[in-house]
Amino acid sequence: MNKYKFSRIKEKIMYPMIRYLILSFFSLLVLLPVLWMLSTSLKTSAEAISTPPSFFPKETTFIAFKRLWKEYPFGTFFKNSIIIVFVSMVISVLFACFAGYGVSRFKFRGRKAMSTFVLITQMFPSVMLLVPFYSIINRLGLINTHLGLIIVYISFTLPFSTWMMIGFFRSLPTELDEAAMIDGCSVWQAFWRVVLPLTLPGIASTSIYSFITSWNEYMFAFILTNSPNMRTLSVGIAELDGYQQILWNDMMAASLIASLPSLIVFLAFQKYFVDSLTAGAVKG
Amino acid sequence: MTTKLLGKSKSSYRDKSSVFPPLYGILFSLPVILTLFSLVIYPLFYGFYISLFKTNLVSRWDYRGLTNYVQIFKHSDFLIYLATSFKFTIFVVGFHLIIGMTLALLLNNEFKGNLIFRVILLLPWIFPESVIALLFKWIFNPLHGIFNIALQSLGIIQESQSWLGNSSFALPVVIFVCIWKGYPMVMMMLLAGLQAIPIDSYEAAWIDGANRFDTFRYITIPSLRHVLVITLLLDTIWWFKHYALVWVLTGGGPGNDTTIVSIGIYKESFEFFEFGKAAAMSVVVFIICNIFGIIYQRKLDRE
Repeated sequence: MNKYKFSRIKEKIMYPMIRYLILSFFSLLVLLPVLWMLSTSLKTSAEAISTPPSFFPKETTFIAFKRLWKEYPFGTFFKNSIIIVFVSMVISVLFACFAGYGVSRFKFRGRKAMSTFVLITQMFPSVMLLVPFYSIINRLGLINTHLGLIIVYISFTLPFSTWMMIGFFRSLPTELDEAAMIDGCSVWQAFWRVVLPLTLPGIASTSIYSFITSWNEYMFAFILTNSPNMRTLSVGIAELDGYQQILWNDMMAASLIASLPSLIVFLAFQKYFVDSLTAGAVKG
Repeated sequence: MTTKLLGKSKSSYRDKSSVFPPLYGILFSLPVILTLFSLVIYPLFYGFYISLFKTNLVSRWDYRGLTNYVQIFKHSDFLIYLATSFKFTIFVVGFHLIIGMTLALLLNNEFKGNLIFRVILLLPWIFPESVIALLFKWIFNPLHGIFNIALQSLGIIQESQSWLGNSSFALPVVIFVCIWKGYPMVMMMLLAGLQAIPIDSYEAAWIDGANRFDTFRYITIPSLRHVLVITLLLDTIWWFKHYALVWVLTGGGPGNDTTIVSIGIYKESFEFFEFGKAAAMSVVVFIICNIFGIIYQRKLDRE
């Protein structure tokens, strides 16, 4: 066959096939462990450790899930996580919106320095703050409290959230609030009524990021709490094996439930996430 | 200056400070500035302060000047921790780059199933680190783990191995799990960067007869440069300071085999109660991360 036909075959058949192959390979690499987690969680504890193991449970049972709430302080872990993550997320995003508006509309001295400052704080290794935070929170008597962790989580999520919101606000034309203010709106009203509603996609994706980062956080939750009734989910499930012997079906069930909020939040808002990365953060 | 802050300067229409008084800019930014100062800058300096003492944070505060810094290099395993961390980071970030770039390039086009693939390939990022660690601890379990059983039934190995408890395997296994967990972030950032490249740039090249490889080399990479540098820098710092996955997987063991630097700092603080030394190690880590930043910017981000 001639050259033209061959290159058309390359374009229409070969390259797409290679693409599907590679994508499928990696998708499999991702899905197999996840599905194994699901499968184990639906088994009885005896079947979970039987050999040879099968991918599909011989006897599907929800007993692991039921036991979670009864025999482990799982409900407590869940409650702690919800409170801490939600509060820190709301505060972070709120402050980030304020800053986004301030930096994008008003020329004040140090404006450029502020954006750079936010970017730099993002790059701090959190382990560096381990010793000082532990010491400070200790002195404030906030070890093993919700407030202590809320404060720490705000310190993580604020830099990136601010950076994203600054990018987002910058992409909104100033004519809108300018017109509103010329028509008599105060600055606050222009912010709250005119501009903020337009940044809802940005708020959605910043919130997703804040939520997932805080929900999944381990190190500081581990170090700043020391009693089981204050542990967050992330830390609590890693310690479930201390309760009796390790029942792997329970552990996998716990893992699944612990991941659900992040999964739900993500799936519900995922289209905002990629879009906003393009619109806001990347365009430096 | 006050009149300028309040927007009452005599300015032309172009200078919008009468509509947007600079004072409000400062006011709106104040929550973030104050919070970052108290929650990031202050602890930073406080950490440095602690590093000048030998302390257990409760009863003992002996001023030691800079001797902690000498001590950690001479009389502790800090250098080993650093070496392990460098090995770990290079492999993890390296594979993140290769995998992330490949997947981002593939996902950059429109085709059937694009959305499904995106969601699946993002999954590792969504799961909490401790969950992933638990899952792989289960998969690599010496007695009942599916990895051992699969390998045995395929005849690749004879006996079950303790993958996470064996000095030769622990670090590679840990590196693999971290690659699995972390590539989505790199993939996402690169994809976002790729999508920002205007189609015109590509079309101009195609009209001139460029093939795929040339297009990649002369159009894609240069346009992606800024995003690439930032992504690599953030990923390097992120995994150099990493803690959770490795801690839950192995606790830093066996021995010191998987004790990356953040776990080393944890051990120094909460097993040896040498908070001063731990703080000193943290400061060194901070300096190293800054050096990364400078290197990345100078060498790679020449605009």
